Amino acid sequence: MTLDTFPKYLLANAERIGARPAMRHKDYGIWQSWTWAEQRDEVRSFALGLRALGLKHGERIAIIGSNRPRLYWAQTAAQSLGAVPVPVYADAVAEELAYVLNHAEVRFAVVQDQEQVDKIRSFAKDIPLLTNIIFDEARGLRDYDRQGLYGFADIQARGNALIAADRTIAQRWEDEVKAASGEDISVMLYTSGTTGRSKGVMLMAKAAVRAASDTVAFDGLNENDGMLAYLPLAWVGDHYMNYAQGYVSGFCTNCPESAETVAQDLREIGPTYYFAPPRVFENLLTSVTIRMDDASWIKRKIFDHFIGVARKHGEAILEGRPVPLTGRLAYALGDLLVYGPLKNVLGLSNIRVSYTAGEAIGEELFSFFRSLGINLKQLYGQTEAFLYVTCQKNGAVRSDAVGPPAPNVDIKISDAGEVLFRSPGMFSGYFKQDEKTAEVLTDDGYVRTGDAGFIEADGQLRIIDRAKDVGKLRSGELFAPKYIENVLKFYPNIKEAVAFGDGRDFIGVFLNIDLQAVGNWAERNNIAYASYQELAGHPDVYKMMAKHVDETNRRLADEPIMAGMQVKRFLVLHKELDADDGELTRTLKVRRSFVAERYQPLIEALYDGSAEKTVETEVTYEDGRKGRIRATVKVEDAKVYPAVKADAREAAA
Amino acid sequence: MEFLNSILIKPFADMVAAPDFLLQVLWEGLVAGVLYALIALGFVLIYKSSRIFNFAQGIMVVFAALTLVGLHERGVPALLAVPLTLLVMFLLALAIERVVLRPLVNQPDIILFMATIGITLFLVGLGEFIFGGENKVMITEQLGIPTGSFTFEPFGGFVSIEQKDLTAVIGSGLLVAALLVFLNKSKMGRAIRALGDDHQAALSVGISLSTIWVLVWFIAGVIALATGIVWGARAGVSFALEVIAYKALPVLMLGGLESVLGAIIGGLAIGILEKLFEIYWGQPLLGGNTETWFAFVFALIVLLFRPQGLFGEKIIERV
Amino acid sequence: MNAHSGVEIIAAPDDGIAPGDKLMEVKNVSLRFGGVKAITDISFDVRKGEIRAIIGPNGAGKTSMLNVINGFYTPQEGTIVFRGVERRAMKPHHAVRQGIARTFQNVALFKGMSTLDNIMAGRSVHMNKNLFWQMLWHGPALREEIEHREKVEEIIDFLEIQHIRRTPVGRLPYGLQKRVELGRALAMEPSLLLLDEPMAGMNLEEKEDMSRFIVEVNQQRGTTIALIEHDMGVVMDLSDRVVVLDYGKKIADGVPDEVKSNQQVIDAYLGVAH
Repeated sequence: MTLDTFPKYLLANAERIGARPAMRHKDYGIWQSWTWAEQRDEVRSFALGLRALGLKHGERIAIIGSNRPRLYWAQTAAQSLGAVPVPVYADAVAEELAYVLNHAEVRFAVVQDQEQVDKIRSFAKDIPLLTNIIFDEARGLRDYDRQGLYGFADIQARGNALIAADRTIAQRWEDEVKAASGEDISVMLYTSGTTGRSKGVMLMAKAAVRAASDTVAFDGLNENDGMLAYLPLAWVGDHYMNYAQGYVSGFCTNCPESAETVAQDLREIGPTYYFAPPRVFENLLTSVTIRMDDASWIKRKIFDHFIGVARKHGEAILEGRPVPLTGRLAYALGDLLVYGPLKNVLGLSNIRVSYTAGEAIGEELFSFFRSLGINLKQLYGQTEAFLYVTCQKNGAVRSDAVGPPAPNVDIKISDAGEVLFRSPGMFSGYFKQDEKTAEVLTDDGYVRTGDAGFIEADGQLRIIDRAKDVGKLRSGELFAPKYIENVLKFYPNIKEAVAFGDGRDFIGVFLNIDLQAVGNWAERNNIAYASYQELAGHPDVYKMMAKHVDETNRRLADEPIMAGMQVKRFLVLHKELDADDGELTRTLKVRRSFVAERYQPLIEALYDGSAEKTVETEVTYEDGRKGRIRATVKVEDAKVYPAVKADAREAAA
Repeated sequence: MEFLNSILIKPFADMVAAPDFLLQVLWEGLVAGVLYALIALGFVLIYKSSRIFNFAQGIMVVFAALTLVGLHERGVPALLAVPLTLLVMFLLALAIERVVLRPLVNQPDIILFMATIGITLFLVGLGEFIFGGENKVMITEQLGIPTGSFTFEPFGGFVSIEQKDLTAVIGSGLLVAALLVFLNKSKMGRAIRALGDDHQAALSVGISLSTIWVLVWFIAGVIALATGIVWGARAGVSFALEVIAYKALPVLMLGGLESVLGAIIGGLAIGILEKLFEIYWGQPLLGGNTETWFAFVFALIVLLFRPQGLFGEKIIERV
Repeated sequence: MNAHSGVEIIAAPDDGIAPGDKLMEVKNVSLRFGGVKAITDISFDVRKGEIRAIIGPNGAGKTSMLNVINGFYTPQEGTIVFRGVERRAMKPHHAVRQGIARTFQNVALFKGMSTLDNIMAGRSVHMNKNLFWQMLWHGPALREEIEHREKVEEIIDFLEIQHIRRTPVGRLPYGLQKRVELGRALAMEPSLLLLDEPMAGMNLEEKEDMSRFIVEVNQQRGTTIALIEHDMGVVMDLSDRVVVLDYGKKIADGVPDEVKSNQQVIDAYLGVAH
């Protein structure tokens, strides 16, 4: 049998490493675990139950919920019948959910709990096709109308009853899995979409397997590895790493107890393979910093000293570069006293390989974790590629670029500066949207990423911005908003930044303070505040932000291509940009055009020279109610520096 | 210069020059420290479970020792006198709960503190009435406590350890260990800690106040008896013994009123430090007899830097 | 392995009372502190399986009433019938053994202990191994501890407080402390659960969560609940029957709709002079 589908890997793993753990889940305070052999049995009984319920080859089935073993099994079970799992973001609002379910034409949905059942039922008339809901957790569903509503265990029981009645059924199921075609669609992932409706990205089984195999070999992943599955099921990264790479390499996927316990679960599991967006690393560093600020002076001294040692030698030791003996000794002592315990607390002690992606990561932040001996690397990818486009090799890592092309991937830069790729994991098209598929494919079969970038001398790809966001100032200078925003966001006090300037005379910026960092700073400096709004508008906070903007401008002035992109005016927003208000996507990226429209009066204030502006904004509270907040936002000017000329820099160097 | 030398250098030079003597001093300090720790534990237990600062802890030591010796004087064999004394201490605990504590439930802490002063006065009277006021000798040998001494010759010097001190240290150590296990591992022990944490909560999970109070006062009685035997063996049994209970005060200042570990470590630290100070600084520089006040001064200085004591919870005022 | 087999294992114990019959009856109870009358001649009953609310303006004697029921106070007159046994006074720990658990308006938790230990403390009523075993801490006592731990984990799962399992409760925000306190009361598997202003000081979202838990406890586990609440809206939605107290006297008793339209109740809440 050629291993070109994931169900085939399930059978193969159950043979090859049947007694090793495939899946763990913390429930009732205990890590429950399932071996590969057990996982095969779970999947088989569910698959047979699903078939009895009427799921057919080629049909799509929605999977909605957080990372739970049963939701992963449901995907394999569906694939084993030739059906296509469609994982959907669990925190999607009911309308979004209804759109996706409708568009994907699902008749079946496997969901985590009551919340999802309620959401689906509230839109039942808009999704007439969806008639069968299978739930994992029964809680709260006792008195529900049972028409078309089934427990996961009930479906498995149905499957088991079939097996008990006819022994050959189990074998026949395995035979069908082995005979299945790698040309079938393996999974359909809806992109979260910064613009417009989300699109269903179809991935073919053998392409998905091939992409995963390449990267498993690239990082040497095997059945002794383990990963924590805490990112959304519907996101390509989770499906790629915890599902695809998990099956191909045979490593163990660990499901946390709940979203709130991830940090503790991480500590208990101590994974060897880890992925987190820069945001998570940032939060980790912030929490460490805060804890050290509260520690006794002696601990702080020791910590600061050895972090200094790590900054000096850590990365060199990680990359196997020469380090003087005294440096090695100091680092070893630091490992004993600081890095070891610190990594242990963070749950990162056993990391062999870890990646970050999705946003640019700050140099400081990136090298902090690397200097502790954590092999943190960057990758660049997207759903249409089935994740990997580029990834960094061990020992050839830098923070401002995302690595050379992944194995068997071709990349090139279009004349307009857009990054194009062709890869083994490349998608087969958008579901029912051929015209969109045609839009992103070039004539020679490359996929347009929508990102602008260039390839550095060492072969690593460097991303500047979204291709469509890159614009020009009225003076003709390049304007890459994301680039400016990222430089600003490297300051821990700035949580979010939104830059404007396309077609304008100069660049203006909205800033969002980081409540945790700035709040702490305020507490230390005895600055009283009653609300986010008050803190954001505080004169001292403005001074702090002005300093950050000033430093940013200096930094931009240093780089010849970027010197024209200095910030001339800025303001600090009175509210935190929020996904519930539609200002961020579900993956917490800023929706630039939406923000621009919503805060139009503030943008005017940036450009008409006024010193302040009063605005009223609608907000959505956590319980879904809406309210309005009013605020007067100050606008300040920043100093712009002359560009450092390239030759002047060389002379100085 | 001369002065600084005598404070900062000479004492340490002396320690290094005669390590055998230093060992002897440390041992003496340890013996005293174990006792301090034991008494402080008695205070801590009662305070934790009922928020009462038990002024009567000292007199309970005297009362227990007197009862033991008194019973023996009246012809009860020593080894039978011990359990009988324990019985008396148990009855005392029962009586205190029934007569003093129960009627005073929910009264302010200061009233309960006053009540323990009342108990002290009552026990002084009762003790004198039954056993008379004259000094007595502890029945050390009759209890089977060895009285000889071991000698060692480390560093070519000479150290002597009295066997009854050794017995005291080992015995007290075992008692403390048993108490710790009891507090941390048994249901009753956990109930005591629960009561110390939140009264209402303890009541609402079905913990009986009366039972726990009798229990902690009885434990305090057991500790009193142990202290009485050990200290009585060194200094005789008299009402003056009451005073050693006040040695526990600086220990409590250091260790905090609620920390079992604080009482133990604080007790040992004060025992050892006051001995060292007396021998190496007190006698040569201050004419000796510093043991009466050193512990208090030391505790005060520590409190200047750590207001919550060495082991107290960090005091954070929420604004 | 069925990951969620344990749902609804902890249920109200069989106390020999049929659903709908009187589980508890307060008969002509009066309570005085010195010359001050806190409660005057109050009678009402609580039927098995219902949510019974006791409401009234501040100082109406609601908390005093709860304190009488669970034995904190002894009334000067009147008796309480619980599970068919009539008595005037009962010590708090006897009330607990009889199957009455309660929470407090101001949260009474073991602040230095973790969430887990606090809820475990609620199990202590059900721990039967004798002192000898406890001292040795092995064998049967250990096995018993594990069984209790399983029940406690179910409660933690039910109340969605996994993330604070090991956190000392003193460090938790108020809303979560209230939840832990409910957890501890549930751990006692009570016949009658007394809740003293379970939603006091909570924000809207926390109130909704708490209401959901109360209803689920009542419906899924069949636990009888008597609760005091200040917030009229919440009470009317939650409860099956409502007693209204004012100045220590009962002024109304009935289903929410009746009570809502009762003129005396309206006057009491609006503060009309008597």
